[in-house]
Amino acid sequence: MEVNVKLFATLRDGRFKEEKANINENTQISDVISKYNIPREEVKICLINGRDADLNQILKNGDTLSLFPPVGGG
Amino acid sequence: MKEILTPRYERNYKTISVEDQKKLADSTIAIVGCGGLGGTMAEEFARLGAGRLILVDGDTIDETNLNRQLFSTEYNIGAKKVEAARQRLQAVNSSVKLTLIDDWFNQDNAADIFSGANLVCDALDSIQRRIDLEESCHRLNKPLVYAGIAGWFGMLGVSLPGDYSVLKVFKDGKENDRGVEKTWGNPAFTPWVMSSLAVAEAIKIIVGREPALRNSWLQADLLYMEFETFEISK
Repeated sequence: MEVNVKLFATLRDGRFKEEKANINENTQISDVISKYNIPREEVKICLINGRDADLNQILKNGDTLSLFPPVGGG
Repeated sequence: MKEILTPRYERNYKTISVEDQKKLADSTIAIVGCGGLGGTMAEEFARLGAGRLILVDGDTIDETNLNRQLFSTEYNIGAKKVEAARQRLQAVNSSVKLTLIDDWFNQDNAADIFSGANLVCDALDSIQRRIDLEESCHRLNKPLVYAGIAGWFGMLGVSLPGDYSVLKVFKDGKENDRGVEKTWGNPAFTPWVMSSLAVAEAIKIIVGREPALRNSWLQADLLYMEFETFEISK
């Protein structure tokens, strides 16, 4: 199945802004993060279709996954 | 009133009416952190005519601040940040009263520090202290405007008592108190843009308008020049 993956801020560096990803059934958000070699501590917010989601949430066909890093400087 | 009806503010009147200017002059705004974000926020509030500013920062200026922090110059390396702020802000607008707190915010000193404040601005650089600050603002019934920066990127939002938006966005600072700014730094344009956006939200709260970023946050990307707002789940 296919999901739409959107990366934000520093997560785009060396990767992409938006990409269609082919994934297997029962793929969790954390599996997608691993697939793109994103260090776990660099993901602060996960949204599925605009709603807050946990790392272990399972993706469905057609979902849009948005990932954001912690941006905490002042 | 005579301090309001001066040429200093007259070109703002279509945007900030005389009545709103009076509300600003009667307001006390606390800024927690006088670094990249806080310095520019303080400058803008002084130019806008805030009545009193409470500035909270226990740090001193060093050379690494010169890339972005408004109060830092080649002449005041080693000075207390709040003292550098006083010198700059008095020169900008001497009618603004300043309460300078040469100390770090914590949950225990919050009630004293924020006494009389109508609004608090989070210009901190620690995720855990941002979460603590929101908790204090919730307890003390103060509206909060928060902003964070890293590299080309920033985020910004408003948290009113009970919203806990900072907690929902930053989640936890215990494991990683600093975000990706620890590798990406903060070049001048990012804090200046984000602090200006924060002040625009803050002014709306002071004059009684609806802020745009309650229960949502603005994600700013200055590399691709993208500004996108996301809802925060309740």
